[in-house]
Amino acid sequence: MTRGQRRVHALLWPVLALMLAGVIGAGLWERARVAQAASAVEAG
Amino acid sequence: MAAGFTLVGWNPFKRAYDALVLAGLGVFLVGHVGAGLLLAPAGQHPAEIQLLIRASGAAAFSLLTIILCLGPLARLNPRVLPLVYNRRHMGVACFLVALVHGALVVLWYHGFSEINAFVSLLVSNPRYDSFGGFPFESLGLAALLILFVMAATSHDFWNAVLGPRLWKAVHMSVYAAYGLIIAHVMLGAVQGEKGLAQAALAGGSALLVAGLHLAAGRREAARDAALAAEAEGWLDAGMAAEIPDGRAVILVPPEGERIAVFREGAKIYAVANACRHQGGPLGEGRILDGCIVCPWHGFQYRPEDGCSPPPYTEKVPTYRTRIIGGRVFVHRLPQPPGTALPPSVIGGEG
Repeated sequence: MTRGQRRVHALLWPVLALMLAGVIGAGLWERARVAQAASAVEAG
Repeated sequence: MAAGFTLVGWNPFKRAYDALVLAGLGVFLVGHVGAGLLLAPAGQHPAEIQLLIRASGAAAFSLLTIILCLGPLARLNPRVLPLVYNRRHMGVACFLVALVHGALVVLWYHGFSEINAFVSLLVSNPRYDSFGGFPFESLGLAALLILFVMAATSHDFWNAVLGPRLWKAVHMSVYAAYGLIIAHVMLGAVQGEKGLAQAALAGGSALLVAGLHLAAGRREAARDAALAAEAEGWLDAGMAAEIPDGRAVILVPPEGERIAVFREGAKIYAVANACRHQGGPLGEGRILDGCIVCPWHGFQYRPEDGCSPPPYTEKVPTYRTRIIGGRVFVHRLPQPPGTALPPSVIGGEG
């Protein structure tokens, strides 16, 4: 890799890692929210 | 390389590599469908096409995860370098499996719609303003389009037409595709499943890819910080006898690109470390049949002038070398690409 490519990777990957973690976290949070709402409905 | 193009430059290694990828895909698909049939509760067997949809989606995702791990793994451990050599075939295979997944989804879920199946895919769930109910199929479709562009431009012909920089920039969109696929899985399959197995697999894969890239980035930054000792413009490459025959040590000058210092018998040569094709690390390659071979895709350069052997036309910069007291010194200023320079000879100092 050239020095420029290494710089791009060094800047890009922390941002991408945060974005991926955000997507995963949001997906799990939404799943838990829907499950909680469903159990509340079941409980009456 | 640039002299002419064949569809695939087959060699025994590429054939073995592709056979292994195809065999692995076959085992994965059969195993996934078989497990789906065997593990389904009695009386709740999903349709075979649904099992194929899941299996092909999981296969494409797994293949893309492996592809994205190979680059940083090769920077962390050179023994992985041979797997990078034919990575683009794995990328095309990944697109084809993803295409099968998408086609089966369109056929099974939208093929009987009163409107066009592809329009149905995009409008049957109009909740684009919702997070939990977002039409995750559109995310998968966007990723599939990116993979298509990448597969269609994967040949070296397009690398030559677009130039290595633009080609690489286009192919960096694979990371966008991966993010879209993670969102596709997290908002699709993960929301509908009872357990957390798919969430763990998708999340674990994404964290593995991100973690390996971050670790490789740290390693490369540490290497860039280890500047070669310099005196009056000459960089110290260490003892000539300590460079393995046919191999190189890599120097980091204060400015500019890394330098690969090769030993071939008693002769010492220095060339720019970045391959003209895609920036592969020439210094991690070796000299075979008198040519430096890039470990990424096999591009070749003559060590004495940095030129690819005829009929190819790629050139890399060369550097002046000298040997004093058994130590190799390389002048930090590159010569124009393709400049012939005499080697320094061990035992014939100067």
